[in-house]
Amino acid sequence: MWFKRKNIISISLLVFFLFFSAKLTEFDLSKFKDFQNMIDFLSQWFPMDYSKLPHMLQDSLETLAMAFLGSFLGLLIALPISFIAARNTAPSSYLYYFSRVALSFIRSIPEIVFGLILLTAIGLGPFPATLAIMFHNVGVLGKLISELIEATDPGPQEAMKAVGAKSGFANLFGILPQIWPNVLSHYFYRFEVAIRTSLILGFIGGGGIGQRLFNDFKTFQYSSVALDVLIVMVIVIIVDIVGSKVRNNVI
Amino acid sequence: MLKVNNISVRYPGGERDALSNVNVSLIEGDFVCILGKSGSGKSTFIRCINGLQKTTRGEVLWNNTSLSTLADKQLMTVRREIGMIFQHFNLIPRLTVFQNVLTGTFGYRSTFKNLVGWFSREEIKRAKQIIADVELTDQINRRVEQLSGGQKQRVGIARAMLQNPKVFLGDEPVSSLDPGTSNRIFTLLQKMHNRHNLLTIINVHNVELAKLFATRIIALKDGEVIFDGLPEAFTEQEFHQTYHSTSVKTKVL
Repeated sequence: MWFKRKNIISISLLVFFLFFSAKLTEFDLSKFKDFQNMIDFLSQWFPMDYSKLPHMLQDSLETLAMAFLGSFLGLLIALPISFIAARNTAPSSYLYYFSRVALSFIRSIPEIVFGLILLTAIGLGPFPATLAIMFHNVGVLGKLISELIEATDPGPQEAMKAVGAKSGFANLFGILPQIWPNVLSHYFYRFEVAIRTSLILGFIGGGGIGQRLFNDFKTFQYSSVALDVLIVMVIVIIVDIVGSKVRNNVI
Repeated sequence: MLKVNNISVRYPGGERDALSNVNVSLIEGDFVCILGKSGSGKSTFIRCINGLQKTTRGEVLWNNTSLSTLADKQLMTVRREIGMIFQHFNLIPRLTVFQNVLTGTFGYRSTFKNLVGWFSREEIKRAKQIIADVELTDQINRRVEQLSGGQKQRVGIARAMLQNPKVFLGDEPVSSLDPGTSNRIFTLLQKMHNRHNLLTIINVHNVELAKLFATRIIALKDGEVIFDGLPEAFTEQEFHQTYHSTSVKTKVL
């Protein structure tokens, strides 16, 4: 009664893919028989080592700066592009398709690849990491914001054309106030993601708390690793809280 | 002053003309109400007058200049003399009443000044005066999405009046308002109309309102003018023709 033949086929397919993926990922819970090892390992993390706390905080600041600068520059570049990549505001259909494809292309390249490429030109450090975050965010925010633009109510733009404003300005003035809260919301989410990304970029020499975490790990200083991880968690939580505060004030 | 010269509009993919061969001459002082069923071409007609909708054939002449020949820049200078209000008000969300009304000056100022929001003392004084005229002074710093429908439409009227218009267009401005509010909006429109000797053209669904306020009624059916005359002449028979019977002529077309 509830299950049609179509549903049964879909479910069997789903089950097949689950098993297939488990096979490929060597997903096997019986491997946890060495669970004791992990507990032994984690026990080395404690007590935490606070001796390097000032350096860690300095590195966290660097991480925050990387994530903020990278995602914000990404937003600044993405905003004008997204007006070209939105169907209702694109100056021409040729530009529309071109910018769409360009955004997808940028978005499909992971930050770490950007980072590795930029390393060869400008060397190690937070600068290439910031640029890598920026590039990827242009792709992501450009797509998200252009979709917000496409979903706006055309009424205000029309009213601005009717009062005699230039059509480009009418679009800007009619659309920006409508999408602004959602743009901020997307931005803060991307900022949060950028913090996590900058940790990974730290692993390839991008600086910040990520690089410190990686180095402490490689040199078996697990009591420092524990504190690094804790600091990262605190940063992400703080950014999340600040983000929702700002968003609430804007809406 | 305004001559609608045999215009037709067909939307892309449309099976028939949304407006077909409409001829109307309008002069200042006319308070025109356009009647017709949904889909009869009322909105299309209104939107052709300020060029928001391009005509497929024919032309709209504004002081003997055809809108269809104008470049964008010249079209802007025509539009700033034509105030327009809308069914869904089309105010800029998240801005205050005052900010929304000030956008009525945009057609007269440089884009740079508009962008930074720099307004002269004169413009601010006039905006405040007009807001007082539509009785919204106590709401002046409220955001428009917090207002009632009637208040929103009064903001729309104030924005349009700040343009110093010679023509006032209304695209079903009271269709989403209750009868009492609709009446007050029309009274306000009439006051502005008389004070500035405007040409006012308004789409409306309510025949009573049209007969009460209009000096001239135009009825559209399937994109064609089927009545154009004094409100007194719009009788039961015309009402029936406008809203019910299907004319043979459109079937032949």
